[in-house]
Amino acid sequence: MLPTAILDELRNAVGDHGDGPQRSVITAQNQLQTYECDGLTNFRVLPAAVVLPANAQQVQAVVQVCARHGIPFVARGAGTGLSGGALPVEGGVVLSFARMNRILEIDLANQRVIVEPGVINTHVTDAVAAQGYFFAPDPSSQTVCTLGGNIAENSGGAHCLKYGFTTTHVVAMDVVLPSGEVVTLGSSAPDAPGYDLLGVFVGSEGTLGVATRITLRIVKRPEAVQVLLAAFDTVADAAQTVSDVIAVGMLPAAMEMMDRLSAAASEAAAHPNYPVCEALLLIELDGPETEVNAQMQQVTELCQRNRSWEVRVARTAAERALIWKGRKAAFAAMGRISPNYIVQDGVIPRTALPEVLDEIARMAAEVNLRVANVFHAGDGNLHPMVLYDQAIPGQEEIALDLSYRILYLCVDRGGSITGEHGVGKEKQQAMGYMFAEPDLDTMQRVRCAFDPASLANPGKVFPTPRLCGEKAGPYTQHPLQAAGIAEIF
Amino acid sequence: MEQVVTPTNLEELSSLLRTCNQQQRAVEILGAGTRRHWGNPVAATLGIQTTGLSGVQEHSWQDLTATVAAGTPWSTMQQALAQHGQCVALDPLFATRSTVGGVVATNDSGALRLRYGSLRDLIIGITLVLADGTVARSGGKVVKNVAGYDLQKLMTGAYGTLGVIAAVNFRLHPLPRSVASWTVGATEIAPLDALRHALADSTLVMEALQLRTTSSGFALDVQFGALASTLQDHAERLHFLARPLQPVPAAAEVWQLREQLFAPEQATAKVTCQPAQLAALLPLIANSGGTAVAQQTGTLLAALSAQPGLVTQLRQRAEQLGGALQLLAWPAEVAEAPPRWSEPRGAIALMREIKRQFDPQSILNPGRFVGGI
Repeated sequence: MLPTAILDELRNAVGDHGDGPQRSVITAQNQLQTYECDGLTNFRVLPAAVVLPANAQQVQAVVQVCARHGIPFVARGAGTGLSGGALPVEGGVVLSFARMNRILEIDLANQRVIVEPGVINTHVTDAVAAQGYFFAPDPSSQTVCTLGGNIAENSGGAHCLKYGFTTTHVVAMDVVLPSGEVVTLGSSAPDAPGYDLLGVFVGSEGTLGVATRITLRIVKRPEAVQVLLAAFDTVADAAQTVSDVIAVGMLPAAMEMMDRLSAAASEAAAHPNYPVCEALLLIELDGPETEVNAQMQQVTELCQRNRSWEVRVARTAAERALIWKGRKAAFAAMGRISPNYIVQDGVIPRTALPEVLDEIARMAAEVNLRVANVFHAGDGNLHPMVLYDQAIPGQEEIALDLSYRILYLCVDRGGSITGEHGVGKEKQQAMGYMFAEPDLDTMQRVRCAFDPASLANPGKVFPTPRLCGEKAGPYTQHPLQAAGIAEIF
Repeated sequence: MEQVVTPTNLEELSSLLRTCNQQQRAVEILGAGTRRHWGNPVAATLGIQTTGLSGVQEHSWQDLTATVAAGTPWSTMQQALAQHGQCVALDPLFATRSTVGGVVATNDSGALRLRYGSLRDLIIGITLVLADGTVARSGGKVVKNVAGYDLQKLMTGAYGTLGVIAAVNFRLHPLPRSVASWTVGATEIAPLDALRHALADSTLVMEALQLRTTSSGFALDVQFGALASTLQDHAERLHFLARPLQPVPAAAEVWQLREQLFAPEQATAKVTCQPAQLAALLPLIANSGGTAVAQQTGTLLAALSAQPGLVTQLRQRAEQLGGALQLLAWPAEVAEAPPRWSEPRGAIALMREIKRQFDPQSILNPGRFVGGI
């Protein structure tokens, strides 16, 4: 609980005088519970207050209050994150962007859209679709997740194989630094003079400050889009098809794979009429119509050469949408086949796919658990889902342990612990497995430049919190720590 | 420069920097030296040249990734990658002479940026050595990866002021199999700018799109990259969009014209703006007797007569439009060179703090960068 005087300062910052119908500072216990976790529900912390600013000035005023009193703050969009990135800090403030959801400017001549961070991902595309444009990053939660969250996590999605990630599509941002100062990072023109702080900010998981105004790049919608569904008896055959498609020089808009378990769950949830098979491949091609037609023919042949026993090309926009609906429902669909599940997010070099999947199956069998797999096969991004039952004593711990061991396996095979969900609270320790101490210390130098007091989403991303000492360089004990005034935990 | 050292491995580079840091000795970081004048001059008695760190260390062609030592000449890297029909999809200046590290440190790009993005989009990991000798890695060898801060972006375009780039992990693209380039000329910029906009707003698949000054006015060059059957369709659509102008097959050298903007007696500048503003800048340059090649991405290279007033005028115009001007070359014999960099907007205090965290004694390329960093 924050002292009344500080709460009053926060209320002043957002113009909440306690007399309007809509409060902008929430402190009631039952209302705070709405904010106690994000999409990763096994971590829960109650914040001291939730503040809902309506504009950039109010965001700055709130951060200034936090900076003045040393109160940690966590920015929150829709709370759909899967790594606990928006998990509140005990005694801290949550900055909700629910009221900052305006599209500020559309500039088709330069293919830019300027938004507030609370704008929902698909609303950008909705605003420019009539003119033939779209916003390319498409996380599965895109109909509810916000741009601010996408920026924090550098969100991807099925189509980033061809179109890149959120970072590819952000050109400038106004940011409130943890000190309360406002800076502009990047510019509408390319290559703004100076360090690429914009590039570092995107994907920093809210640990470097808060964005208040975001300039996005939009992309012209291609002339034709086709989706193909292919059924295989083995994951190896499907994976070989993916490699073959890449090897002939094609860059499909998306290449997704689902194993039997996940395809069956999606079928039950969304009824996309998927064939029942060991490995289902979904390939989307886009571009000029003549090219898409020719390439679809070629992809079909590659599927058949790798023993696909059913190749189906979606003929209509409705058929295409249904195929994608099934894929995007994959995570939520797990609820239909298991009481509980953990979604993981590892990356491996694409060619290691069959071998890594065999190993995951072996590891799961060893502890008597099932793992369903969905992956962005084109870029080697795996989403293994470890299925378990919380009601069985001890099973959750076994499932969690398995999910972390799968991440370590990804690192061992030359990959990463996260492709798009972020490190957050969930994978902090795995950072220490993927990176050496000097790597993490170097990243901390960036953190110390942006946020020396460690107020912006503290206790996330890095395995061990560090104080920013006077002297930059390899970690040494902080003077406050040496004097017993502060401790590192 | 009193001395230039060329370390041949990471350990040598690390221990060399550690020693310099202990002695507070400023060093200038060098590749092949092709872009040495793109920033402010550095007062250093020691040069560290990366050309001893050379070679494609790993090419996972099936995964479309490669790890390349920073001192590798850009074209040597491309030749090695081409053995498997792949490339780093970027066409920087002076490819035969430049090193990979130099291209990355200066964030150079060319015409292909329209289709494949800038180095920010092509680099997936980096190995760097900090001023105190710390060897650090960020990113990784997979295309999709959001673990930890994206230090590779921070290092790209930092002009060697934060650390020495030792190796770069790239995502690769297949070499385009069939391309066709067209040129459309006109005496005025307006009809070409309208065509530029029509192309950008079309669904045609373009590798590159540029506007430039010519001896008789202006020209637009476009390169399509697609299957042969699609190229035919694109050509027809280009002819339709261009009416009444007549596209002609482009001369082979149009995509290398940028290199001709560097001449000993001239000033050369990189100007940035948004695409729709290019048409405002090109006539300004042409009217003052200059030449320019501008990319649809909003980067423009201009050769100007070496008069400080001309550079200042162009810089002011670019800045009014939200862009900037960086002076890349200025004849040594002409005094009163304008500042190399535009004044950074905002965030300069934060940039100085980043520099202080990475290189607290400011031994790496001191003064070279924006704001005298």
